[in-house]
Amino acid sequence: MDMSLFSNLALGFGVALTPINLMYCLIGVLLGTLIGVLPGIGPVATIAMLLPITFSLSPITALIMLAGIYYGAQYGGSTSAILVNLPGESSSVVTCLDGYQMARQGRAGPALATAAIGSFFAGCVATVIVAMFAPPLAEVALKFGPSEYFSLMVLGLVAAVVLAHGSVVKAVAMVILGLLLGLVGTDVNSGVLRFAFGVAELADGIGFVTVAMGVFGTAEIITNLELKDKREVFTSKVTNLFPSKDDFKRIWKPILRGTALGSMLGILPGGGALLSSFGAYTLEKKISVNGHMFGKGAIEGVAAPEAANNAGAQTSFIPLLTLGIPSNAVMALMIGAMMIQGIAPGPQVMTEKPQLFWGMIASMWVGNLMLVVLNLPMIGLWIKLLTVPYRILYPSILVFMAIGVFSLSNNPFDVLQMMLFGLLGYVFVKLACEPAPLLLGFILGPLMEENLRRAMLLSRGDPWVFFQKPISAGFLIASILLLVILALPALRKKREEAFQEG
Amino acid sequence: MRKLLLSIVLLSAAQTALAQAWPARPIRLICPYPGGPVELSSRIVAQKLQEALGQPVVVENRPGAGGVIGADYVAKAAPDGYTLLMGAIATHAINPSLMPSLPYDAMRDFRHIALVVQVPNVLVVNNDLPVKSVKDLIALARTKPGQLDFGSGSTGSTGHLAGELFKQMTGTFMVHIPYRSSAPAVADMLAGRVHLMFDNLASALPNIKAGKVRALAVTTTRRTDFLPDLPTLDESGLKGFNLTTWWGLMAPAKTPNEIVNRLSAETLKAMDAPDARERLRNLGSATPGVRTPEAFSAFIEAEKTLYARLVKVSGAKPD
Repeated sequence: MDMSLFSNLALGFGVALTPINLMYCLIGVLLGTLIGVLPGIGPVATIAMLLPITFSLSPITALIMLAGIYYGAQYGGSTSAILVNLPGESSSVVTCLDGYQMARQGRAGPALATAAIGSFFAGCVATVIVAMFAPPLAEVALKFGPSEYFSLMVLGLVAAVVLAHGSVVKAVAMVILGLLLGLVGTDVNSGVLRFAFGVAELADGIGFVTVAMGVFGTAEIITNLELKDKREVFTSKVTNLFPSKDDFKRIWKPILRGTALGSMLGILPGGGALLSSFGAYTLEKKISVNGHMFGKGAIEGVAAPEAANNAGAQTSFIPLLTLGIPSNAVMALMIGAMMIQGIAPGPQVMTEKPQLFWGMIASMWVGNLMLVVLNLPMIGLWIKLLTVPYRILYPSILVFMAIGVFSLSNNPFDVLQMMLFGLLGYVFVKLACEPAPLLLGFILGPLMEENLRRAMLLSRGDPWVFFQKPISAGFLIASILLLVILALPALRKKREEAFQEG
Repeated sequence: MRKLLLSIVLLSAAQTALAQAWPARPIRLICPYPGGPVELSSRIVAQKLQEALGQPVVVENRPGAGGVIGADYVAKAAPDGYTLLMGAIATHAINPSLMPSLPYDAMRDFRHIALVVQVPNVLVVNNDLPVKSVKDLIALARTKPGQLDFGSGSTGSTGHLAGELFKQMTGTFMVHIPYRSSAPAVADMLAGRVHLMFDNLASALPNIKAGKVRALAVTTTRRTDFLPDLPTLDESGLKGFNLTTWWGLMAPAKTPNEIVNRLSAETLKAMDAPDARERLRNLGSATPGVRTPEAFSAFIEAEKTLYARLVKVSGAKPD
């Protein structure tokens, strides 16, 4: 580590701590938190609407605000995931699993605080990583081509199935159903429409948000309608607002591991950030002593994915700032905002506009601090929300969901889709099938197919390419090992049974 | 007969009255491609039009089906000047040939008001590819038929069809590798997994300037101000090679002439304003030479014919 890092960071904080930049950073994270909490209204639409305002700001101020909206929304997204089982972003799906269960047990406070603390810690670490290693990590990101992405996703899916709790058969079935849903839309290679049935709205596939809000949020509301006498789903006795000493003992390791995994996956622009929260959750479930508690309100199951997702959100700025390659729609829009200001994001930003590069990195740290300071006192307020009677709370959530989904593309068709997936989600609840593997398959399926076919196209049809590239081969071997691990106990059991019978 | 004449007179009088009162309420500008340069420029123009017309001009995103959903929505909207479209090369020149059935007619269902943005594509190659010029590339492609890969943001995009035109004009064969958007294609080209791209100027420029990729030529007949030393494909022996990515303001077919002319004038004025011109230029746009609604229509007609041919030779049309 050389001294220039400190002088660079000093330069960055000098930029980020000017009153005007502090103010816009605050506006950004505030707005971000708000839209994150409101289901469906995402950062893309918000940033787009705010663009004309940024024209009159200096480029760095504009970027600080836009970045604040981005990671503020990730923060806010976990709030609605925990309180009302509503994932607004793909990254908060995993937070629903244990966060919402904690809320039902009266532990929404510790869950929200854990999410905030985990995110803050991860954000701080990831910011340092971006500051210290951005250029070499960008080179690593470039090492990932179609075959590497495909093998990484195979590993992700295998891990999800191996580590699913409950029935493995049901988990596999849900993953496959997710893969099938992901097939709908235009085929990237040939441009042919698949399973669109002449509906123009299906040409771009089924939207992630509509599926997630349907199978989680809407389904939850429908299920609760069954409870005729006592519709309050939350225990009235709310325990402490803050995590206890014991809780802290349980979460610090998951937060560390989540941060590490999220930081690594975040630098991959082709879907790495998506995997980070799923990956952290499955990893934690396997190695935690409380693994059996996952899905039933384990605090580790909130800490790890929240840390991973925030770390990933920060490190995904690496390919953006060093290569000009956006990881998602929000970042693509930020590139546009930079371009209008006359800054082309790419390899030159760091050398030609050091105050912009380092100012933005420093502002991320400042913004994360603001989020924690803003959100921790808010927890008490959020908990109060849960005491709102069911007959008022849930219809209003439904209305907000409908508005949010409609605002995605100003199309009523999306609202209809959300309701259909809500009914489907209710069926899943009745069949005791978990929706999380479905969403994982739904996200990874199209990416896997795309990368598989692209790798095969580039290798002119030679499947060995997946084993010839070292990184790709490593992932595939790890997947095979995981499958063997899955099979082994079963084999052993069978053998034991056979011996007993004999 | 008199009745008919009378009603015609009344109708046109009513139309004139409508046009004179216009705009009396907020105008919606439908953008079929959110989150990218089309939306950015829509917002730049909307802001200026709003100042000039004294009514809010609201950009409304209606994405989907390669722009068809937004374009179709405007094609069927009331022709009263309150619903406008940022129509683009895909919705109005490529899709008519690419898509098996389009719910609108790109020429008959629209009034074409003003061409707003026109961005050239640039032929860029990975630094390790041993070619310094278009001539070298053609020679290499001839010695290695079917071994060079070119990436693009999607099947039927200008990046793809420019490659097909290149192949056709040079008699070479290269393999098209389609991506879901241009960013991952650029990543694979930087890493050398894909050899070349006909990338949009704005997205290619930073990597060209940083020396991460080598630019060989620009796809327009005129050189670009951004890279004045870069030859055109036309100069490099591919006579008449001229492709740009473009988008512009449109309205439903029966929108009154008065409104179309007013909008055309105000849009041109907006684009000529120094701050807006600078912002559009930062998106890679040259100031378009097309300056009237009639010229814009003629331009689209010519583009449609060109892409009908390119889509056919590329085999890009899904069956």
